Order: sequence, then structure tokens, then C-alpha cells
Amino acid sequence: MNNRIKEFRARHNMTQEDLAKKVNVRRETIVFLEKNKYNPSLKLAYDIARVFDSKIEEIFLIE
Amino acid sequence: MLSISNFVLELLNKYLKVMKKGVIVFILAALVLVTTGIWFFSSTEKLKLYEFVGFGVIILVVGFAVFIGFKRLNSAKRGEPAEDELSKKVMQKTAACSYYVSLYIWLAIMYFSDKIKYETHTVIGTGILGMAITFAVCWLVFNFRGIRNE
Repeated sequence: MNNRIKEFRARHNMTQEDLAKKVNVRRETIVFLEKNKYNPSLKLAYDIARVFDSKIEEIFLIE
Repeated sequence: MLSISNFVLELLNKYLKVMKKGVIVFILAALVLVTTGIWFFSSTEKLKLYEFVGFGVIILVVGFAVFIGFKRLNSAKRGEPAEDELSKKVMQKTAACSYYVSLYIWLAIMYFSDKIKYETHTVIGTGILGMAITFAVCWLVFNFRGIRNE
């Protein structure tokens, strides 16, 4: 699974720390997500999509 | 007796709620370090090589615990949760993997304890230290490699 978190974060002018605080995870989790080293739970994916005001499938792409 | 145990339980409950897990890690690490220090410096006989190795391994394990404690405190300082879904998953994978490896460690120890005669406490101590090292190594692997496609 790939994701466009980094792209969406830049578009919303957000740091990894800002996003981490908004979705209530540690900054390391955002780092791992952006490097595709971790697939988030459905809840975390939903929370991230909600922060960016987008749909889950726009951010997370299944290869 | 019952009222005393109730009081102790209440006290424990209260403190556990107030204390962060990171602080508990520091307290445990300090206790292990103090106990090891007492054992190391109160020994009247000359320490053997494997006792020095054991001491070194304990220091490494305590260092690892302190590292985790610092990580949690730093997260708390930044206003992030001390634990989240990734750290819980890493812990679960670490526990499962280190349990699996530990079975083989004990099997090897049982095999070698038949061939070489060691005192019982040395054999058990080696097993426990082996388990601690396995846990630390598994945690480092999963924490830095990440958990992909699971």
C-alpha cells in the first residue's frame, strides 16, 4: 500500500508533528507511514483523511 | 490483614494512575542497577570472567530500558501519546518473536547443561539474560525496520 501523506501534508502546510498531534499518534508513526514502512489501522487512515478533508482512497493507494 | 492489603492495593492503584509508564521504567532500571551493584561490589571472592560478562549484559539491558523510558518521556513532552498503535504493534511483534526465540534458547541451554556442569543459578541466570537480550534485539529490529504489509 502506498500513500500520499507527505504530499497532502505539504499542501496543508503541516509538519509531521502537527499531523501527529491532530491524529493522536507519535511523530515516529507519521515518519513510518510516509516511508511506507507501516500500514495504518482503518481508524488512523480515517482520521488522517478527515484532517486533510479528503477521502481515504485519495490518500491511501492499494497497488 | 485484609484492610492492610486493601490499603496497599489502593495506594498502588493511585500511584499507577499518576505515574507515567516511562517513570516506572526508570524506577525498575534503577532497582536492577542498584541490585547488580550490590552483588558486584559486595562479592568477597575474585569475580570470574562470565560474571563480568553477565554484569555487562545487565548494563546493556538497563541501558535499553532507559532508552525506551527517554523515548516515552520525549513523546510526552511533545504532547504526543507515550504509546500509539504502531508502538503497541511493535511491542506485540517483539513479544511474539522473542518468546519463539526464547524457546530455542532454553532448548540449547538444556542441551549444553547436560554436557557442561554449571551451577543451577548460573544456568537460570544465563537463560533470563538471553531472553532479555532477545527481547531487546527483536524490539530494535521491529522498531527500526517497521511493520510492512501486515
